[in-house]
Amino acid sequence: MKKPLIILAALLTAPMLVSATTPISGMVASKCIVTTDTDGVYGNPSATKLSTASSDGGVLPIIRYDIITASAYNAKITTPMSFSSSPALGSETVTWTGSTVANQMSDAGMSVFNTNKVVYNNSSEFPLTIAGSVWFDVSSVATYGYNKAFPAGSYSAVVTAECIAQ
Amino acid sequence: MRILIILVLVLNGGYASAHQWTPTYPKLKPSHITGVYTTKMELFNSRKEISYYSIGVFDKDWKKVPFVTSPSLLRISYLDKKIVDIYLHKKDKNKAHYICSKSKILSSVRDPSIIASRICSKIK
Repeated sequence: MKKPLIILAALLTAPMLVSATTPISGMVASKCIVTTDTDGVYGNPSATKLSTASSDGGVLPIIRYDIITASAYNAKITTPMSFSSSPALGSETVTWTGSTVANQMSDAGMSVFNTNKVVYNNSSEFPLTIAGSVWFDVSSVATYGYNKAFPAGSYSAVVTAECIAQ
Repeated sequence: MRILIILVLVLNGGYASAHQWTPTYPKLKPSHITGVYTTKMELFNSRKEISYYSIGVFDKDWKKVPFVTSPSLLRISYLDKKIVDIYLHKKDKNKAHYICSKSKILSSVRDPSIIASRICSKIK
């Protein structure tokens, strides 16, 4: 009487033992993740100037790049050359300047990103030769005409963060 | 007061929004239609403020290459993932170099500084 009961119990528990060994599989593939860490804000230190520098009352936009595989991507960050929205500006020209710097990094060796940076037009291109996370600080300054005051209203501009496969 | 500062830091630290476009090196394969090649791309949107992404195919000089996908302007919800099928004519197969996805910002967005993200994969 006992023996069939033991066999039955063993048979019933067997599938449970099998399911306990279900594997979890995963794959780490090469990819670039672009994260908007901090949205920028233009400060207005004088009537003629809008700037994201903290010394001018602004907030620097910060963009994080997560790189899974080294030397697979280039980061390209383009600072604005026009407002995406603004009050009517008349015939005066706006002069734009901007720059991008790798400021925080998960690996000290990533400081080489700044050394190898290529700047053209209003873009900065960084070969991402080390895997990990890197935070880029983007500065943008707009000055209006020759000592002209910006008209009152709200201003927006777009920073473009790109990740281009090598 | 200290608890409030820590709470603000923790909440701000948790805020991040990202754009993913994979694989890095897609391969074109013949599709079920003769003379048409295809590849599958995956888009992941964790940018709360972005709902639309455009898709583009470019040659090595960043000139547009004709392609078909449905639709070319994708509506994608926050934290959603979409598989995008790209179709290229046989004559454009060797010309195509990059497949890119770019976040689209609605004109109604009035943030002082907006970040547009674009990720480009290279066809191997």
